[in-house]
Amino acid sequence: LGDPQNLKCVTHNLHKMLCTWDVSPRRRHGQTDFCYTTNDLTPQVCLKTKERRVEIPIPESSITVTIKSSGTAFATKEFVIHQKDISFVPVTPHILSLMPDFPTSTLNLKWSDNGSVFPYGLDALWQIQILRKEAMEVVTQVTYYSKLTHEDIILSWNWTSDMPLECTSHYVKIRCYINATQFVGPKDWSDWSPAEVIPGKDAEPGGSGVFPLDPVVAVGSDLTFCCVHEEDQRITNMTYGSKSYTMMQLSSRSHAIRVLNASVSNTSGTNVVCRLEHGLEGSVVFVGYAPDVPQNLSCETPDFLIIKCTWKPGRPSGLYGERRTKYSLFERTSGKNVSCEVSEVNKEHVCGFPVLPDQKTYDFILGVSNPIGQAQSSLLVDITQRVHPRTPEKLIVTGSNSTSIQLHWFINGSFAETRLLCQIEISSSNSERKLHNVSIPWWKSSTYTAQLNALHPDTKYRLRVRCSAADHFWRWSDWSRGVEQTTSEA
Amino acid sequence: MAAADSPSAALRRRDLCSRGIRLAGKMRADVVDLLDAYVEQQGLDASASVAAVEGVPLAAVERWDEQTGTQRLLENLAAYRAFRALLAQMLEEQREQLGEADAGLGRALAAVLLQVSAFAYHLEELLRLESRGIPGEEGDGPPPPPRLSLFEQKLRGLGVLRELAQWAVRSGRDLRQLAKPSPANGAAPGLAESP
Repeated sequence: LGDPQNLKCVTHNLHKMLCTWDVSPRRRHGQTDFCYTTNDLTPQVCLKTKERRVEIPIPESSITVTIKSSGTAFATKEFVIHQKDISFVPVTPHILSLMPDFPTSTLNLKWSDNGSVFPYGLDALWQIQILRKEAMEVVTQVTYYSKLTHEDIILSWNWTSDMPLECTSHYVKIRCYINATQFVGPKDWSDWSPAEVIPGKDAEPGGSGVFPLDPVVAVGSDLTFCCVHEEDQRITNMTYGSKSYTMMQLSSRSHAIRVLNASVSNTSGTNVVCRLEHGLEGSVVFVGYAPDVPQNLSCETPDFLIIKCTWKPGRPSGLYGERRTKYSLFERTSGKNVSCEVSEVNKEHVCGFPVLPDQKTYDFILGVSNPIGQAQSSLLVDITQRVHPRTPEKLIVTGSNSTSIQLHWFINGSFAETRLLCQIEISSSNSERKLHNVSIPWWKSSTYTAQLNALHPDTKYRLRVRCSAADHFWRWSDWSRGVEQTTSEA
Repeated sequence: MAAADSPSAALRRRDLCSRGIRLAGKMRADVVDLLDAYVEQQGLDASASVAAVEGVPLAAVERWDEQTGTQRLLENLAAYRAFRALLAQMLEEQREQLGEADAGLGRALAAVLLQVSAFAYHLEELLRLESRGIPGEEGDGPPPPPRLSLFEQKLRGLGVLRELAQWAVRSGRDLRQLAKPSPANGAAPGLAESP
């Protein structure tokens, strides 16, 4: 009776172990001699202690321990501890930081792996628990793997909640297990770390509102909205759009609803309304689509001053105003970037980019983005092969006789180095329509002239003109306005 | 006591009052239409109770019949100046939030804003007629309201339009009161004298 009992040794770092034992209550306050010897005939080592715990090196194989506790009469007990009897329990991990990112409902956890304590690289498993609500219910438990490398490494892990972090307090705990394969004794998980908490709005005095506040989400998303209210306020119902939803209670000041597979919202967004006994709280959610990859991106120049790019946007995003889809045109060679003013309502998507001095080839990237996503299209183009002249203007007759008419017209643009091919359509009442092609060499000014011969005397002709690039034909301009001229009599 | 009215001044006031009454009536009809469109477009519940919105003048007044004519005009003028600022802000928020997506509502809002501005000018005319000083606008308008969430913006818009509709009714009544001939000499009461 009264002898030391239940000697147990635990190691936290694989090179020292902590041995503890029990003694009868009568002997608890006396001095104890703790002597141990390994079996390779090294001299016995003795330690005096008033506690019932001693830290000593881990033996290569086994050790013999003699515990002599003083008191009214000496009680001595001898134990043999083999390596397989020593259990390995890592030190309880310490959370360095737990940071919330409210807009994305994401928690970032940082902790030290305490790797410097271990003699050689080991595999470590970390169990991370996320808890919620006042009752601290486990929301999820995740296992994270890492490799210990003799240094203290700060590990980082992100978790995105299915509900806004404002809705209720979130708690995080972590514990670790080290797979020391060479260690023969039993191995166990460390204790859980103390829980770190990110308080919700329902823990904040005066905190209230519907969360998330005014989010933009993709069609098809499953959404959780919560209503945080004062303790003394009773919540009547929560609606999403015109539909009322069953509420889940998160805490005494927070209730939530779950909306599945959200459909596209109308232009002013879908209201999430929380009706309270004395008041109303709400949020507006915008449900839309990420932008499609722009199709049929095409760029041309009407005048060698501006490059006009057009494209098909694909499915409308359903987002408007400051959340609308925005476009920008980036040119890789020059590094120049232009943001495009695109009307949400009218169907034509066009963007202008300046023609740059001494640059014929343009490597365009059309970037498209809205709060839900982004996309891009690219196009490599030589603009000298993409000339689409403007409509010829100020078509006038500058000379005429019985068999010929001289025409004069103007095209806005600087086609100085471009040969133009123009087509003059000649129609009169007594002959069918004819097309007269005329090739016009490089021309400093923007005015052009052509002579039509072999016409019939005393005949009223209707004339109009269109032009294109002669080399590398791309597209005709639109037809000019028509002009009428009657040849003189023979 | 205000200077006795000359017949032309009384005639001018009665004309201004009757035109003001018509403008108030038109404004009220347009505001009610706008309110319906606003409720639908913003996805609101037409019966939603909206707490008093900061900066929105309340149309309800105690002892309405004891107000002097000048008080009526001054209170009306202050109210419509406030509504001018509030509607201008709603228009700005509308463009910000919806861009061109719902131009119809934007146009209706702009039309009502024009009417409110015209009515404020009309009230100033009436005050000038009575050689009443026109109160200056407060600095450069009311202090910018706190940044509201989108739902709070929607509710505030609802509150503004509801109260404006009430004011249009009250203004009509106020102007009818002003247009009444004075019991003493059959002329419209001097603004300071009206009961």
